[in-house]
Amino acid sequence: MSAKVAIAEPIRGRAGAVGRWRTLGAIGIKMMFFDRLKLAGTLFGVVFAVVLGNFQMGTFLALLSKNRMFVEAQTDVDLWVTPPGTRQFQGGKPLNDSHLNRARALEGVAWAEPLVLQTAQLTLPNGGREPVSLVGTRAPRFAGGPWNVVKGEREALLTPGGVFFEDAEREKFGGLNYGSVRELGGRKVQVVGFTWGLLPFAPAYAFAEQTLAREIVQLPADQHTFIMVGVQPGADPVAVRAALQAELPDTRVMTRAEYLHEILVYIVTGTQIGLSFGTSTFMGLLVGLITVALSMFSSVVDNLRAFGTLKAIGSTTADLARLLLVQALIYGLVGSLMGLGMVAAMVSGMRNPQLTPILPMAAFGITVVLMVGVCLAASVLALLRVRKLEPAMVFR
Amino acid sequence: MSDPAVKLKGLTKTYGEGALAFEALKGIDLEVARGEFLMLVGPSGSGKTTLLSILGCVLAPTRGEGFLFSEPLHGRKERELPELRLSYIGFIFQGHNLLPALTAEQNVAFPLELRGYSHRAALAEAREVLGAVGLEDKLTSHPDALSGGQRQRVSVARAIAGRPPLILADEPTASLDAQTGAQVTTLLKDLSTERGHTVIVVTHDSRIFHLADRTVHIEDGRLVPPPVKE
Ligand SMILES: Nc1ncnc2c1ncn2[C@@H]1O[C@H](COP(=O)(O)OP(=O)(O)O)[C@@H](O)[C@H]1O
Ligand SMILES: [Mg+2]
Repeated sequence: MSAKVAIAEPIRGRAGAVGRWRTLGAIGIKMMFFDRLKLAGTLFGVVFAVVLGNFQMGTFLALLSKNRMFVEAQTDVDLWVTPPGTRQFQGGKPLNDSHLNRARALEGVAWAEPLVLQTAQLTLPNGGREPVSLVGTRAPRFAGGPWNVVKGEREALLTPGGVFFEDAEREKFGGLNYGSVRELGGRKVQVVGFTWGLLPFAPAYAFAEQTLAREIVQLPADQHTFIMVGVQPGADPVAVRAALQAELPDTRVMTRAEYLHEILVYIVTGTQIGLSFGTSTFMGLLVGLITVALSMFSSVVDNLRAFGTLKAIGSTTADLARLLLVQALIYGLVGSLMGLGMVAAMVSGMRNPQLTPILPMAAFGITVVLMVGVCLAASVLALLRVRKLEPAMVFR
Repeated sequence: MSDPAVKLKGLTKTYGEGALAFEALKGIDLEVARGEFLMLVGPSGSGKTTLLSILGCVLAPTRGEGFLFSEPLHGRKERELPELRLSYIGFIFQGHNLLPALTAEQNVAFPLELRGYSHRAALAEAREVLGAVGLEDKLTSHPDALSGGQRQRVSVARAIAGRPPLILADEPTASLDAQTGAQVTTLLKDLSTERGHTVIVVTHDSRIFHLADRTVHIEDGRLVPPPVKE
């Protein structure tokens, strides 16, 4: 012992909260990247959950949109008069001229137009048949007329026998071309235009002037599938709806927004679709949760000595929580970004309008937030394990 | 003033309870002077690790009193212990206990960061101490790329970095060959003398006894006079 040496003094300095997040977070990240196989496995779990969840939700939205596209597209229709009990965009017992005339006479109504919608059979060149959902729209307003038009003018519907068809179904319809002549419901028609992507769950929409449509589907001139109503400028659609419903008690009158909402509610609650997609989305999230939870837990178990050493040297359980939370955050962030990248690439590769998942921008934000939440929740198992860890174990 | 580095009075430790209770320490009285290099020797199961764990503030004593530089270590709350460890203790374990995911310099630096060093200052200090143990060319090596002796030298560097007053080493040479073990212990002795650390080394290794300022013997949970040899 040399008496001249200054004896080491107690160390009083301490890292603040930020410093501890930084130090322990950096160690957590190094540990993650040190075990590459586990990192890959965990990320795969998160990516799987993201891809599955987004595909399920995107497909559900696509389904929803198929069922709502007609009502959604008719932005100038304020009110829909439908047969009683209507919950989808589908006709029932036809409405009649009395409904139409009483609607037109009502205070606050600017215009009312009948719409024809019924399935018709298209005869193919090879003798086969394909159904279409034939829409009969009235000139000159053409309410309920074709949209997403990629070829032709809607005024061409006034040429004798003129019909718009769906471009995506041209092959299926036997090589349909602009100007092709076909038989529709036993009546000669000519292709005067094409729409793009109008593929509901029912057969593709086709559009004809109403007189022709009635001839094809054999619907008398005084019967209508729906009645579309526009309200006077300044009139409140909700108030007019109530008045019209009172005037036409044997129908169901909905505003455009109510109709869209009703279709959503019907799909979610009135069919198996909501349950089925909800379940598989939930399963995806569950798989992500379990993968991350097990992998983080097993990583703690594999590195017990390292965690014990961290504790023995002076890290608290809260410090180790910081380490694990940073890991969880990174699993969530990196996994969702990778998953979303894959989803985006896959969806943009699917150019066919049959059932391409719809991914709104919000899906990206929701996915990241949800997956980070799932990963943070998944770290609980690992946290409980490090909490139990006795620092004295390092001497054993 | 010169309180001893370590002062223990009637210290006991009982593991378990009731019929399963086992008294591993049966009343230890010990003083270690500041700057002393003490060796704790005894047969397996005699309580060496238990005593070192209490001194290292990773284990609470059952009865009796203990002081590190006048600071009591008995009757402390569990959550105060990590603080005490950061203030007073540098650990050297039997297995090196380096974090496999960190490089040598990162392993030495992180306890310093917990003690409030900036990342940069911690790395600078880590490099300096690793230089002092002769590993200036292994700063960025991971533990699995180092030999046993090199790993234990990183452990020594980690323990003395930041100059904690008390270094505790539990059988630091157990996994090393005799020559390497003697080299590492000599290094620890030289550096702690130079830097003013108090050191307690638990060991079986008679080849390094001569490095001690004093040797204390423990048997069956009690300190005993050194065994007489013919
Ligand atoms: N956590 C524990 N629970 C019960 N008994 C223990 C525990 N740790 C150690 N012991 C017992 O205490 C005695 C002393 O152990 P230890 O301090 O490890 O001795 P040494 O390090 O000298 O070999 C041994 O008989 C051992 O079995
Ligand atoms: Mg032991």
